[in-house]
Amino acid sequence: MDLITISRREGLAFDIRVRHHTVTSDLSPADGGRDVGAAPVEMLAGSLGACIGMMVQRYCDSCGHGDGDVAVSLTLELADQPKRIGAIVVDVELPDGVPANRRDAIRRVAEQCVIHETLRNPPRLDVEIL
Amino acid sequence: METTLGGKPVEIDEDGFIQDPSVWDEGVAKDLALTESVTDMTEAHWKVVNYLRDYYLQYNMAPMIRKLCKETGFKLKEIYDLFPSGPAKGACKVAGLPKPTGCV
Repeated sequence: MDLITISRREGLAFDIRVRHHTVTSDLSPADGGRDVGAAPVEMLAGSLGACIGMMVQRYCDSCGHGDGDVAVSLTLELADQPKRIGAIVVDVELPDGVPANRRDAIRRVAEQCVIHETLRNPPRLDVEIL
Repeated sequence: METTLGGKPVEIDEDGFIQDPSVWDEGVAKDLALTESVTDMTEAHWKVVNYLRDYYLQYNMAPMIRKLCKETGFKLKEIYDLFPSGPAKGACKVAGLPKPTGCV
C-alpha cells in the first residue's frame, strides 16, 4: 500500500495525496469550512460507492453487459452518541439488459467489495500522536 | 424565530424547520418547499411528504431512508430530484418534521 498523506490546504480544508493523485476534503460553511471539497463522511460513502461500482461493473463486463454503465447513488443517515454514520443507503443501477435473475449474484458481488467488507468487519485502528 | 408560513405566524429554528409539528398544513408545506427551491409541489412531492408525515405521526420519528424509498417507490436519486437537499433536510423539513441529527 502506498503512503497516503494529508496536509492542510486552507482553513479546515485538507489535501489527501496518494501517488500522483490529490483530492481535497473540506466541511460545508455551516460546519465551519469553505466547501472546497467533499466532507470526510461524504468521501467515506463515496469510497463505498466507487468500490461497489467497480466490482459490479467488472461483473457486468464479464457477463457480456460491458457496453452499459453501472451507476451508484448513496446517502448517509447520521446518528448521535457518539456522533457517527448510522446508515449508508446505496442504490445500484445496472446497465440495460442485465437479466433479473442476476440480481442476487450482483448483490453478493457488491457486498463483497473491500470497502463493504471493511465496514462490516471494522479494522483495528492504531493512531499515534507524534 | 418567527416567520410567516401558509399565511400564519410559525416558529422556526435557524435552519428553517418548524418547531411545532402541529401547526403544519398544506399551506405551510408549500411555503417550506419554496425555501428548499421546490416551486411546484407535484403529486410525487406530496407522496413523499405525506408518507413522512403519516410515519412521523404514527411513530414520532422519521423513517429510515430505505423504508421511505421502498414505501413510496422512488429510487434514492429520484428523492433527491424532488428535494435537492435530500430526504432529511429537504423532504422532512417540508413535511414539518423536526430537524434530523448531524451535519450532512
